[in-house]
Amino acid sequence: MHKYELIFILQADLDEATLDAAVENIETLIKNNQGEIAKTDRWGKRKLAYPIRKTNEGYYVLINFDYKPEEVAALKRTIGFNEQILRSSVVRVD
Amino acid sequence: MTEYRSNDRGDRNDRNDRGDRGDRGGNRNRRFVSRPKFCQFCSDKKLAIDYKNVELLGRFVNETGKIRPRRQTGTCARHQREVAKAIKNARHIALLPFEGDFWVDNN
Repeated sequence: MHKYELIFILQADLDEATLDAAVENIETLIKNNQGEIAKTDRWGKRKLAYPIRKTNEGYYVLINFDYKPEEVAALKRTIGFNEQILRSSVVRVD
Repeated sequence: MTEYRSNDRGDRNDRNDRGDRGDRGGNRNRRFVSRPKFCQFCSDKKLAIDYKNVELLGRFVNETGKIRPRRQTGTCARHQREVAKAIKNARHIALLPFEGDFWVDNN
């Protein structure tokens, strides 16, 4: 298990309920693979430095969690399938 | 054969010309720019390089969005590497632009 940091950008034009659902969805995804979430930090709506998919705003969410290194690639892939997520990155913090 | 030799001489003259030009450029018209002498990350250990810290990283990017060289910021080699990495991470998640000034947009 190593410490990781997942940051992802959700579409800003979604309503509160779908945003919550999307964040919870990611959280359960991590938990289901024996990951442990240390902290989720919602930055909220933020202006993007450059347009992604023709939008200038995004809803930023930062999740600190412990995860097995060999599972990270799979996690990244499944996050990539989610169409509500504009951009994501997983960085190891140790 | 004699023609070849004359060619050689010509080349040498060219080289001398180039040398002269270099000297001239280095001499007078360059203004002195004072530069930071210490790496701010070495002198302040608490200052962590983090790709999420946009305010900090923004100082290491010029107005066209490029990473500023060490000779301008005074960062040591090791920390410059870390800064560059952090800026690239920040660009990927749209915290910093790949090109252009982002302060203009935000303010």
